[in-house]
Amino acid sequence: MTAQAREGLYELLEQVTGFIYPNEIEIHWSILIVVYPYVTGLVAGAFILASLVKVFAIKEVQPTYRLSLLTALAFLLVAPLPLLLHLGQPQRFYEILLTPNPSSAMAMFGFVYAWYLMGVLLLEIWFEYRRDLIVLAQTSRSPLNRVYRVLSLFSKDVSPEALAFDRKAIQVITIIGIPSAFLLHGYVGFIFGSVKANPWWGSVLMPIVFLMSAIVSGIALVIFLYMVLTALRREPIDMACLDKITSYLFYAVIVDFSLEALDFIHRLYQSEESVKILGKLITHKLFLSLFVIQILLGMFIPLGILVLAKARGFNDDLRKLLYFTAVILIQIGIFATRWNVVIGGQLFSKSFRGLMAYKMEVMGLEGLVAALVLLALPFVILAVLIRLLPTTRLEEPLTP
Amino acid sequence: MRIPEQVHRLAIVLAIVIGGTLLTRFVIIPRSLVSTELHWAQTTQREATRPLKFAGSTACQDCHEDVAAKKAKSFHRVLACEGCHTPSIKHAEDPSAAKPTVLRERKLCATCHAYDPSRPTGFPQINVTAHNPLKACVTCHNPHDPVPPKVPKECAACHAQIERAKAVSSHALLTCTTCHKAPERHKTAPRTALPSKPDSRDFCGACHGQGAAGAPKEAPKVDLSTHGARNLCWECHYPHLPEGRS
Ligand code: HEC
Ligand code: HEC
Ligand code: HEC
Ligand code: HEC
Ligand code: HEC
Ligand code: HEC
Ligand code: HEC
Ligand code: HEC
Repeated sequence: MTAQAREGLYELLEQVTGFIYPNEIEIHWSILIVVYPYVTGLVAGAFILASLVKVFAIKEVQPTYRLSLLTALAFLLVAPLPLLLHLGQPQRFYEILLTPNPSSAMAMFGFVYAWYLMGVLLLEIWFEYRRDLIVLAQTSRSPLNRVYRVLSLFSKDVSPEALAFDRKAIQVITIIGIPSAFLLHGYVGFIFGSVKANPWWGSVLMPIVFLMSAIVSGIALVIFLYMVLTALRREPIDMACLDKITSYLFYAVIVDFSLEALDFIHRLYQSEESVKILGKLITHKLFLSLFVIQILLGMFIPLGILVLAKARGFNDDLRKLLYFTAVILIQIGIFATRWNVVIGGQLFSKSFRGLMAYKMEVMGLEGLVAALVLLALPFVILAVLIRLLPTTRLEEPLTP
Repeated sequence: MRIPEQVHRLAIVLAIVIGGTLLTRFVIIPRSLVSTELHWAQTTQREATRPLKFAGSTACQDCHEDVAAKKAKSFHRVLACEGCHTPSIKHAEDPSAAKPTVLRERKLCATCHAYDPSRPTGFPQINVTAHNPLKACVTCHNPHDPVPPKVPKECAACHAQIERAKAVSSHALLTCTTCHKAPERHKTAPRTALPSKPDSRDFCGACHGQGAAGAPKEAPKVDLSTHGARNLCWECHYPHLPEGRS
């Protein structure tokens, strides 16, 4: 053991309370594993918002349709990276794909992911943008037009029948897409929910709670992006759209909160042998991140703000400000939710008699900096995507 | 019906993706990487080509009948010759070509008999620095038929850990036989005659029960009818290192 490692271990040992097993001192699932469900949640949420437009034909939300799709794509591309960095030997990840193990839930992620990326999201985006790509291939300048031509797969047909086919295809894909998005994030909840040995995780409600909070965070993110984007472009915000989405957000937060409360009450009532240590966990270790950040800042205050914004006839500017504050708080709250699940679940001993501590690295493959980079990366990708693919349908007539 | 143009394009892409996947999976990746059978077969082959070092547990008895016969009846009957004499296949094939190692140092025996709390209760353990130091173990114990030269008088000879725990506890002054009736034979053939163990709350109550007649004064008293009522005392207090007062 290096002197440095010994020092680190000592620092942790001082923070341990009660009785723990020797191999529990190190917390293995680091902040990257917090980032991972957070990011996949954003993907699923954004996609489900996009589906509202197509499947349930909610016209008001139309202005955010393409933005939601691109957001989902940008975050989906980043989703596996935290896992890869966590592998320790990231360059060997492909071996998981070459020798798939169908009985391992974790190994199945690759397939769920590939299906969702290629079978759903890319297809839907392609059909949605096909006409625009053809237009862009003709109107843009030299190197770029080639890019568009390749992206459109050299497609040229913009006849009304072809466009009608596009629309129908999108309809079908969305209908397949909703269960797929549920699968993608429900899967993440499943991974945690199926850990029988860990009472903080092992719960059938886990996938559903994950899903609901995913929808909350995805919608909040798209609202945030929509507001920032219109501000950057100095365009007017479509207030009807904003009001509509925020009311969805409002309901989603309420459902999410009820589910988590249900889970909580259920545990309390069941009162299994773990209930004491879990009580200690939330009062000693997770007080700030659970009660203050997740529940107060991330749920009650945004709910209050949303109620206020809806009930009083505030003018547009004030409403915008309120919405903006609410979505940022919600975003922080959902990140805290992921933190409480992932890190919280590793802070108590399997002996149910002691609590550990998590010491976050700053640099290093699994440190804070890596996590921040991973959280920033989707925005960079999104910026590129938005540059390439317009978020509103092109209006110019075709020049043959 | 006419197949729309988009479908053609996507079909080509799909075909490339599927084709590429199949190509990588079945052509580019060597079979040994994905086939568990081949994996095992190759590992077996690799291991099989390694040079043999051990002659095996039955190889020695033909030539060393006397030693083998002696050991077979001893406490060391379960040990393999080569465990102490190091791998000796060369010697077994041609005795004059190579000699097995003969270790006479104390550290050979210490690998198994040095005191270690994780060893099972009753496994013969000694404190190497305190047990007849500076002399080779083999001067007193025959390695092929080890016996304690005389029957140990103290329970501690075999239950050192318990003795050590008790020595620093509140029960230090109680002898083992206060609580265990040990037949004499237990010291010569321990597993054939096990000592008794306390089996009721009243046993401890004789010294710790409130108002128990003849109980030592120093023993703290508890109310037997309420204190830990539904459990045996040693489900909460380790009798060899009891704790109760903070
Ligand atoms: C083919 C018969 C044969 C077999 C099989 C055999 N030995 Fe021996 N061993 C001998 C002979 C003969 C000697 C005496 C050699 C001498 O004294 O020069 C000897 C000597 C020894 C010695 C004493 C060496 C010394 O330095 O004094 C040891 C220890 C020993 N054998 C162990 C083993 C072990 C362990 C095995 C089993 C793996 C084994 N032998 C198998 C024939 C055999
Ligand atoms: C517990 C470890 C141990 C085991 C097991 C063991 N030996 Fe030994 N053996 C020794 C030691 C130590 C000596 C040296 C004895 C001495 O110098 O007094 C020795 C000496 C010998 C010798 C030298 C001649 C003699 O008798 O002094 C032979 C031969 C031998 N052992 C054969 C065997 C054979 C055959 C077996 C298996 C049936 C075996 N040993 C198992 C530890 C062991
Ligand atoms: C590979 C492990 C091993 C080594 C090395 C070993 N022993 Fe043992 N020894 C045992 C085992 C196993 C027993 C049997 C314990 C039992 O019956 O519960 C035993 C029993 C004994 C006993 C008898 C204990 C009793 O209950 O009366 C003595 C004495 C002894 N060994 C001495 C030695 C000496 C001296 C050496 C070194 C030459 C030695 N042992 C090396 C494993 C070993
Ligand atoms: C001077 C002679 C002598 C030497 C040297 C010696 N012992 Fe002992 N050993 C004894 C005696 C006598 C006993 C009987 C128990 C007692 O009184 O401690 C004994 C007991 C033991 C026991 C416990 C037997 C039991 O039933 O649990 C073991 C194990 C043991 N010896 C191993 C060793 C080992 C290993 C070495 C070398 C590191 C060694 N002895 C060196 C004399 C010796
Ligand atoms: C020669 C070594 C030896 C000596 C001396 C010895 N014991 Fe034991 N004792 C053993 C072994 C071996 C076991 C069996 C351990 C097992 O089965 O796990 C045992 C088991 C026990 C048990 C547990 C019985 C049970 O049912 O689990 C008690 C109690 C005990 N001994 C008490 C004593 C007392 C008291 C003395 C002293 C008077 C003593 N022993 C002396 C070797 C010894
Ligand atoms: C105050 C009474 C008391 C004294 C004194 C005492 N024991 Fe015990 N011992 C017990 C009780 C009670 C148990 C049964 C524990 C159980 O069943 O879990 C026990 C269990 C054991 C066991 C078997 C379980 C184990 O922990 O390995 C052994 C061996 C043993 N005693 C040895 C000893 C020896 C040796 C001494 C003296 C050094 C001793 N005891 C002194 C009360 C006592
Ligand atoms: C359910 C667990 C449990 C059981 C069973 C139990 N105890 Fe205790 N005992 C404790 C605890 C905890 C303490 C320390 C706190 C206290 O004083 O109540 C204690 C304290 C004690 C003390 C010290 C009291 C003092 O005033 O210093 C004694 C003596 C004692 N127990 C004896 C016994 C005896 C004898 C039995 C069996 C008849 C027994 N215990 C059964 C849990 C238990
Ligand atoms: C022969 C009388 C006797 C028996 C039998 C006995 N004890 Fe004790 N015990 C004592 C005495 C004396 C003390 C206090 C010693 C002192 O502190 O000076 C004591 C102390 C204790 C303490 C307090 C330890 C502390 O320091 O906090 C506990 C607990 C205890 N015994 C439990 C038990 C249990 C359990 C049993 C039954 C397995 C038992 N005793 C059997 C005499 C006895």
